[in-house]
Amino acid sequence: MTTSVLLAEGSNAALVTFLIYTLAVFGIAALSNQLLKSKSFISEYFLGSRGLGVWAFALTFAATSSSGGSFTGFPAKIYTHGWILALWIGSYMVVPICTMGLIGKRLNQVARTSGAITIPDVLRDRFNSARFGLLTVVLIVFFMSFNLVAQFKAGALILKVLLNDVDIFESFSLSVAEWTSGVGFFGSDSQYLVCLLFFGVAVIAYTTYGGFHAVVWTDVMQGVVMVVGVLILLPLALSAVGGLDRATQEMSKMTPPMRGYGVVEIGDSATDISYLDKDDWLQMETDGSTRVFRVAAAKTINPGTKTVYGVELLEITTPSEVERILAGETPSDFVEGMAVTQFSDSQARFGEAVFKSDSAVTLAAYSLVTYELNGQKQLIQTVTDVTLDPGIEKTISVEIPPGKNEVAVESINGITVSNVSTRSVSYAHGSNTPGVYVTGPGPSATDSLGFLSLSVAISFFFMWAISGAGQPSNMVRLMAFKDTLTLRRAIFTVAIYYTCIYVPLVFIFCCARVLVPGMETEPDRIMPEIAVYLTNGIGAAWLGGLLIAAPFAAVMSTVDSFLLMISSAMVRDIYQRNINPDASEGTIKKLSYLCTLVVGSAAMIVAINPPNFLQDIIVYVGSGLAACFLAPVVFLLYWPRSNVQGCTTGMLAGFAAHFSMYVMGAFVNDSFFRPYQLLNFDPIIIGLVVSFTVTYFATLATPAPPQELVRKYFYRRVEN
Amino acid sequence: MESSSNSSSEEFELDPVFLNSRREAWCILGVWFLCLIWAVPVSYLMGYGRELTPGNVPTILGMPTWIFWGIVLPWLAADVITTWLCFRYIRNDNLGVSPEELAEAGGSDAIAKETV
Repeated sequence: MTTSVLLAEGSNAALVTFLIYTLAVFGIAALSNQLLKSKSFISEYFLGSRGLGVWAFALTFAATSSSGGSFTGFPAKIYTHGWILALWIGSYMVVPICTMGLIGKRLNQVARTSGAITIPDVLRDRFNSARFGLLTVVLIVFFMSFNLVAQFKAGALILKVLLNDVDIFESFSLSVAEWTSGVGFFGSDSQYLVCLLFFGVAVIAYTTYGGFHAVVWTDVMQGVVMVVGVLILLPLALSAVGGLDRATQEMSKMTPPMRGYGVVEIGDSATDISYLDKDDWLQMETDGSTRVFRVAAAKTINPGTKTVYGVELLEITTPSEVERILAGETPSDFVEGMAVTQFSDSQARFGEAVFKSDSAVTLAAYSLVTYELNGQKQLIQTVTDVTLDPGIEKTISVEIPPGKNEVAVESINGITVSNVSTRSVSYAHGSNTPGVYVTGPGPSATDSLGFLSLSVAISFFFMWAISGAGQPSNMVRLMAFKDTLTLRRAIFTVAIYYTCIYVPLVFIFCCARVLVPGMETEPDRIMPEIAVYLTNGIGAAWLGGLLIAAPFAAVMSTVDSFLLMISSAMVRDIYQRNINPDASEGTIKKLSYLCTLVVGSAAMIVAINPPNFLQDIIVYVGSGLAACFLAPVVFLLYWPRSNVQGCTTGMLAGFAAHFSMYVMGAFVNDSFFRPYQLLNFDPIIIGLVVSFTVTYFATLATPAPPQELVRKYFYRRVEN
Repeated sequence: MESSSNSSSEEFELDPVFLNSRREAWCILGVWFLCLIWAVPVSYLMGYGRELTPGNVPTILGMPTWIFWGIVLPWLAADVITTWLCFRYIRNDNLGVSPEELAEAGGSDAIAKETV
């Protein structure tokens, strides 16, 4: 059974370390609130009075750019796809110089010239157009609100993984479950709810109270935690695996796992077990050899049951890996008294479908049901016993068996089957292919072209380095550094920082693939899992607490920045600049606190029932913001001929081109979050090309900007 | 350098901060493109669709050779170029003083001149 990552070997040291870290964040907020009393409130609260030094600027930039994805999604991808992730993240070699150097100096100068405090401020003042400013506010609030909800969910999920099995957390979650029972809005996962509340209250409180400086200083602390965590993990991982070369050679023997449904027999010695927990290990004896499985989804066992059908399993297919698991060289305890007796055919497909019947029907496990797809009759198989009530839809686990047709087998008619969602038991690319984890394009469960085709690799060079420069959350930091010397030193610092983070992360999680097998059941847990595995190995559980604070820190530093961006857009760009320009500092102060509090609370409430597709939302928002903002900002900074008509048209065209790829995806690929890829390129490429082209030509087709604006931002008086 | 004048015969010239920033931006774009045409083709030609013997993969410093030549080496090169850009190429420019900084400092004497 699984154990908490914070309660390694029964010690509370890791939990205490983690709590101390969280308290430190509040301490920082209190300190930065003192600064607010001695400076211009709005400039200090939203921009840190343009006074960031090298370390503060470098680390807040780096930490904000590295969202939770860097410490949860990225390690999970390395674990799942292997060495190819080095190419996927490769453009980070130029991300610091591109995202900070391309527009940093000029944006900072233009913001100072106009007195701008927010990005909409800059765009509005550069063209003296309130409408253009409001358009940017609308786009920022639209995109950031989605992202804020997604990041709240990410933070809560990370915390839930960390606190799993901590006694006080479990008992409190049970109490919350009792209080909220019967209120559908709160959902059924009380642990998630508790984590969301803890995470949300912490971030909202320190951001509201401390403002920009609290965000920056916590980013600095979080940035230090991240890099220290990675640099400690690296030697531990290399030592545990026996060197990087051994990890690579072991990975070259590996083949992707198979995922499907199985039947588990329970022996007499296991009569007291009432459930199969996720990540439990099971064996299957066949023809003198042993096959090894990991439970991919928890399963309740009814009293007296001897045979459990429809257990979702992951089979380890690499012989050398199976040998090491069976020899006890990896952290894998088998459940005693249980064995797998049947597993999916490698040609089968598995997944879910919605069943509905006009009359009450009970289907036994492995019943075959006929349904129609595109006018053709198909067979689908249940994997557990299912009872259907008349007229009520029910989502159930299914398998589409290979090689069977309605002539050869007897099937059940009269049941409506819809929303069939299945994928192959075997990987679409790389199945049964040793070496797939050390070569391109890398294994993929769903894409037959592999994980990273050539065109996608090129897209990611644009995605990280170029679109990163178009993120308003990055731009606002570029308005806050003190002088150009600070900018130059900070770019160098971030370049070294990213080299120390991303290259070692690839090494560490290639080692993790060898050290901790079977994590494809929930790859997002690999970071805390490997941290605890390695620190337990040297008897330093407290270090585990510090290391797993890194992903938590990464999400926190992203959420606080987004929160402040939305509230600044409302207070500064809507209220102060459009509704009440003469508002007193006291009014602005109260409104800023209130707005940050309300926006944060609203996002937290929406995140109670968050949308799925967490990572997809983050990608959509990041690429969408770049498609809207990068071209207009580049042109308004570097082209004296640029005008408000051209930039407005380009911004809307970028939005439309990017959005249309996603809408087409909904029709072509049956999902908004599987966008259409024109010429096999990511929508970000299409959005940027359209936005730059339209801005350029629309500018030339419309009148030149007023001379006084061009003089203000591009010329200076000649001193005699 | 381009210059212009208005009706009261005041002379203007293009802002050197703008000119320096634009020149630096083109150079940075060039570095990005250089890294793109190094990392992606080398990785593709050396690392994609290769047949290899499991357990006997050619490595450099423990990583597959294509990772070393296609990613790690250009990454180190990019760090060297970034260092050169930061400490040799990018100019120190006076970015000016914002209105609220002027107000806090109490007047125009707060305008600090940076070394150009």
